[in-house]
Amino acid sequence: MSGILEKTELTFQQLGASSEAEVDRLFAEIEEFLESEQIGDRETFRVLWASDKKGVLTKIRNNWLRAAPPSTRRWIGPRLEKLTHSVAFKLKTYVERQVEGEGSGERVDLSLPGVIRSVGSHHLIRQVFQEIEGIFFSIGFSVVEGPEIETPYYNFEALNIPEFHPVRDDMDTFYLDLPKDAKTPLLLRTHTSPMQIRTMEKQKPPVRVIVPGKVYRRDNPDATHSFAFHQIEGLAVDTDITFCDFTGTIEYFVKQFFGPSVKTRFRPSYFPFTEPSVEFDVSCPFCGGTGTSAGGGTCSKCKGAAWIELFGAGMVDPAVYGFVNYDAKKVSGFAFGIGIDRLAMLKYGIDDIQVFFQNDVRFLRQFP
Amino acid sequence: MKVVYNGLKDFVDVTASPQEVASRLALSGTNIAGVEIGPHGPVIDAEVSSNRPDCLGHYGIAREVGAIYKLPLKHVSPKPAESAAKTSDAVKVEIQAPELCGRFTARVIRNVKIQPSPKWLKDRLEASGVASISNVVDISNYVMLELGHPLHTFDYDKVRDHKIVVRRAKQNEKMRTLDGMERQFDSNLCMISDGDGSRAIGIGGIMGGVETEISFSTKNVLIECAWFEPVAIRRAARFLKLHTEASTRFGRGADPEMAELASRRAAELILQLAGGELLSGVVDVYPGKRAPKKIRVTRAEILRVMGTDVPDKQIEASLSALGFAPVRIDQNRGAEGSLLAAWECTQPSWRAEVEREIDLIEEIARIYGLDKFPPRLPAARQGAARLPHYEAETRLRERLIGLGYREILTIPHVAEERDALFRPSGVSPARLSNPLSEEVNVLRATGIVTMAAALEWNLNHGQRNARLFEIGRHYRLNGSESAETRVLTIGATGEAREKGLYDAARDFSFADLKGDLDSIGELAGGFHWDDGGADWLHAARRSSVKLNSVISSEARNLSSLGVAGQLARRVAEKLKLRQDVFLAELELDPVYAAMRAAKEARRYEPLPRFPSVERDFSLLLADGTKFSDVTKTIQSLGIKEISAVEATDLFRGKNVPAGKYSLLVRVTFQSREATLTEAQIGDYSRKIISALEKHLGAQLRAS
Repeated sequence: MSGILEKTELTFQQLGASSEAEVDRLFAEIEEFLESEQIGDRETFRVLWASDKKGVLTKIRNNWLRAAPPSTRRWIGPRLEKLTHSVAFKLKTYVERQVEGEGSGERVDLSLPGVIRSVGSHHLIRQVFQEIEGIFFSIGFSVVEGPEIETPYYNFEALNIPEFHPVRDDMDTFYLDLPKDAKTPLLLRTHTSPMQIRTMEKQKPPVRVIVPGKVYRRDNPDATHSFAFHQIEGLAVDTDITFCDFTGTIEYFVKQFFGPSVKTRFRPSYFPFTEPSVEFDVSCPFCGGTGTSAGGGTCSKCKGAAWIELFGAGMVDPAVYGFVNYDAKKVSGFAFGIGIDRLAMLKYGIDDIQVFFQNDVRFLRQFP
Repeated sequence: MKVVYNGLKDFVDVTASPQEVASRLALSGTNIAGVEIGPHGPVIDAEVSSNRPDCLGHYGIAREVGAIYKLPLKHVSPKPAESAAKTSDAVKVEIQAPELCGRFTARVIRNVKIQPSPKWLKDRLEASGVASISNVVDISNYVMLELGHPLHTFDYDKVRDHKIVVRRAKQNEKMRTLDGMERQFDSNLCMISDGDGSRAIGIGGIMGGVETEISFSTKNVLIECAWFEPVAIRRAARFLKLHTEASTRFGRGADPEMAELASRRAAELILQLAGGELLSGVVDVYPGKRAPKKIRVTRAEILRVMGTDVPDKQIEASLSALGFAPVRIDQNRGAEGSLLAAWECTQPSWRAEVEREIDLIEEIARIYGLDKFPPRLPAARQGAARLPHYEAETRLRERLIGLGYREILTIPHVAEERDALFRPSGVSPARLSNPLSEEVNVLRATGIVTMAAALEWNLNHGQRNARLFEIGRHYRLNGSESAETRVLTIGATGEAREKGLYDAARDFSFADLKGDLDSIGELAGGFHWDDGGADWLHAARRSSVKLNSVISSEARNLSSLGVAGQLARRVAEKLKLRQDVFLAELELDPVYAAMRAAKEARRYEPLPRFPSVERDFSLLLADGTKFSDVTKTIQSLGIKEISAVEATDLFRGKNVPAGKYSLLVRVTFQSREATLTEAQIGDYSRKIISALEKHLGAQLRAS
């Protein structure tokens, strides 16, 4: 085997090699010899292979590569490079093998952190949006978006909320300052519901959409109020949609979002654009619907009520169909509006809605 | 509405506990805020929705309780003793505005004794959260809480000519109301006036005037119990910014039939508590009397909307208890549960909002119990679609997050003055006509303004390193139309890499911003960086950003996607941002379109079978010579084996003469046909050097 070492003392011409196949054979011999090297003294290995003056690598470079005519040289370069890598790897692993063998030497401190490449994060509200969109998408709801600056027609009138309707008092509205010749006033939508109208105007039944987006109400900001917040609207209209389909859909969503053990409850309520209208409650997922926290006190999430009011919904009021040229005698459907911020606060124990909008990196980091 | 549990018992013999009653009410449509055990017994706090004015009194709530528990409602039929003298001789009523006032009843009681109320009345009012004033005034409040219908009492002797005229207000007419405020009206308001109608003595349905107010010296009382048009009342209350118990009830729609009854009930109580003599009969002007509506409901429709049947008995019992007097009218009348079953109902005067079949179905369902309708998941009949830009936006967001940016969400309301710092000239801002304050009076014209605020917040809270992005909209006006544009906004400040165990710290620089944006550009066929950029950016470190696909197309003159760069120091100063801040904003719709196009155009390129060779060229270049000059010069040689030209090192000073800089350029050669020979590489290298020397005056440095 040592014969190969002697060959590195000679040039290719002296070895009589003139084809690529012969070059290949020589390098194969060298590689084989390298592989057969037993674990021994690292320094001996280094001197034999990698010493600058007399190492095998140096000899190959001088005797084989440099002395070769250009036509042969291009066969040698890449093969020498590969061999160099193999030698370097063997040298490096000498240390590791010794550690394995002798149980001593420099060991990494596992309690030290690794190199952390800083990555960013989705905003928590976005994460909740994505989760809810995914749940509804999985049961056939398409996603649509709409303008935040709306006309009173879409935000109110077509949703069966005429001017001076008492419900308008609960939705204090921002208006834009427009030139005097403006044809219609413009407002910031107070809910994502205008997209019910816009969707039905464009599309005949069956309709099954959700609408994520920002909405605005002119409330003074505090820990539970923000004059901008987020909603997901839902709308399903078809020739055979009933109240049972509605409650089933909502129940499916809630069990996906809060877990299969939550119970649901629908209470009759009132919205001008749904009839029957409901408020939708879930059994408090934090105390298991007992109203009592694990420690024995009153559950802080549901305040002992055992139920948490989640959002309003209902069967689409037939009057709404009149605005979009649907035949109320043939179609029926349901609509809902989920407040995202409140849901996120509830699920993640956030007690101040303002943190969503301050964007303090210490907050953002908490939800990678 | 504070529902006094014992008050409820006046009208229905309910035996369930207050908590139980509250919970059943909640499940049948009366929202309950809570139940309190007050000093005068249990009180249920009911949040009555705006469509149910009939529940703004104990009588109405009792009707609900009766329907839920199937208990009879005890009807109210006061029979106060009347004297021989006729009311119609003592008071005259004229309604000049029947479109505003549909009914006006008047009764007169002489020789009353105004005094404090007895304890039971005070207690009952206190339990409902109403302050006690005097017996007669308290009675009108009490009857309102009991029957849900507002009343007003006048000092009869102060009403001129003992005549009431109900009319529209004169434009700018003034009157002092009971709360002591001088108020001014417009002609949409309904006024109660006296005598010849020239003097206003009350705002119809909202609040009385001071001049005819009951006082402790009042001897004779005039009881007004009327009905006012709801929309006019709501409009008036909003116009006056005056929302009272009366305006709430009339505004939502009081029961016109209740007016006379409530007046009689008040008379009965006044006689009982203040004595006196009730004149006989009532003056009742009722131009708004309407015949009750007939409404049909069918089993077929119940099934179509609700999806599950409700038994006949349930339907009939619920509708009867709520006052709808259902009558079976179909051919199969005898057959219980017939699919053809239909009922004709009569709309009760207190439920004006129930007009349609769907309204009756809701009544049936809510009393029957919504939990009796079994949930099921409807089958989807068509595929669902994501937003058209869903995939592009998701990839963009994930790439940014991979690059270390945190997503933020902001409120677009900002101060006009702030917005103007970043607003391009010629852009009209979307101002609010009713902002909450001057700090939030305009919708942002760029995402930059809120991004800067987010960085400012972090710096002010000790967070010096931040890399943030927002995918949102900016808002502008085009004439009187609004324009919302999807934008990506990026903000970065502090260290690009923080000092740690293994690495040294490095500040975020323009090059970081450019590299990060180009990583996005890679998804969209590349970005082109051009001179320009906004004037709020640092003049030496700013750029406009365009799409490569646009640059190379006919549309090359299209405006840029946006701008990127370092915030100008003078603006940073103004915002008190005391470290370098980098900002960018790009319009997203063209980026998304380019991403889609780039994705569609992408094709596999076979991996090279031959090794590539790199050569480094250390160049000395004159300041002002750009890297792009170098690449263009090299590319102009047309050597197709050149696969990449990269800058790998750049420095000035030391051995480099002034006015020059040293640039290390690495050229990669790659042939698809064969392994390149030394001779070929040497030949290419010589050509590159001579071209750089000739065209750029570059000198090759000895390395």
